[in-house]
Amino acid sequence: MIELKVVSPQKVIFQKEVEMAVLPGAEGDFAAMQDHSPFISSLRPGQMAIMSNNKADESFFISGGLVMLKGKVCEVLVDQIEPLKDLNKDNYKQTKTYQDLEGNETALKTFEQVINTPSYK
Amino acid sequence: MPNLKDLKTRIASVKSTRKITSAMKMVAASKLRRAQELAESSRVYSESLGFILSSLAGGSKDNSDLPEILVGRQNPKVALLVINSSDRGLCGGFNSSLFRSAVNWIKEKKSHGIEVKLMPIGKKASAFYKRSDIEVLENFEDLNTNDRQIEVSEQVKNKITDLFESKSIDEVFILYNKFISAIAQEPTYKSLIPLEQAAGDDNASEGSNSSFEFEPDKNELLEYLIPRNFLTQVYGSILESSAAEHAARMTSMDNATRNAGDMIEGLTMTYNRTRQAVITKELIEIISGAEAV
Repeated sequence: MIELKVVSPQKVIFQKEVEMAVLPGAEGDFAAMQDHSPFISSLRPGQMAIMSNNKADESFFISGGLVMLKGKVCEVLVDQIEPLKDLNKDNYKQTKTYQDLEGNETALKTFEQVINTPSYK
Repeated sequence: MPNLKDLKTRIASVKSTRKITSAMKMVAASKLRRAQELAESSRVYSESLGFILSSLAGGSKDNSDLPEILVGRQNPKVALLVINSSDRGLCGGFNSSLFRSAVNWIKEKKSHGIEVKLMPIGKKASAFYKRSDIEVLENFEDLNTNDRQIEVSEQVKNKITDLFESKSIDEVFILYNKFISAIAQEPTYKSLIPLEQAAGDDNASEGSNSSFEFEPDKNELLEYLIPRNFLTQVYGSILESSAAEHAARMTSMDNATRNAGDMIEGLTMTYNRTRQAVITKELIEIISGAEAV
């Protein structure tokens, strides 16, 4: 188990123990698990997934940020985050995240991609 | 002898002032709670960011390979001071203690041969410096009315980066009132360029730095991190200052309410005495009139 702590500039989004978290690192997706070597990376827009038994329990879209892995803690500093739980093709454009990202084409495209064809289910 | 009618109007006006100040106190108290929560919850992000930044920068022994915007220029000539004041008054010594501290700070910088330019945030600071001979580069006002804190932080960050890159400024500092408790605020300086390293943090970050892997490489990460850090620092100071402002307003309005109460008490006493005196006088007149008959 690893402690996943997700923080936005405004507040701590959540903090909990997870088996594995998959993150969209700047140079490719990677999984954060217990006893990962100390690691700092920036994040590209993409899907963040909390996994157990090869299934994504929870999934989020993040618009970029930073991650720091140290010991048993995985700290994710996100710019914007949106849980994908209740989102589908029809309503994702109404989210605040989508509207705030206006003008950021790459992020919006990735958001669409994550909605239509998520990498982790 | 004071006029009875005058006293009555006086009491009424102090009473309505007391109503206003006590309402303001209550509004400030509820706003304070929200502002304090915001300030505290945003601290987590900025602390982590600061930690990452110092582990990135702390690793290298000499500063020569780090970008100027992080470590600052040699022999600075011009310093920029971003002053976080409030938009509204009636908050006790909140702004005046800030400006007093700024005046000394600017004097100190001048004595080292560094020219100071200003970037006031909030109406009070821009009004204060409008008439001074210090150059004001840009004003930011009306932050709290529409929750524009993030937007303004973004603008401040962009402005700072542009000015630094065009070499019009060499150092950047933020001045804001730090929220210590509901009754204490303290003018605090934070250095943006060169980046402030938390005291005692050096050893810790150097120790841990060697073990961190970075992806992409250090310089690319720094490029991403530095503007983000500016944004967080400016945003954090704005939130901190707004919490301090509400706290200052709450205490000063509480004092004002209490003072108004004392004043009403005093005035009522005078009013009653006067009324009594008037009655006594009338009685004396009637009695002495009756005796004369």
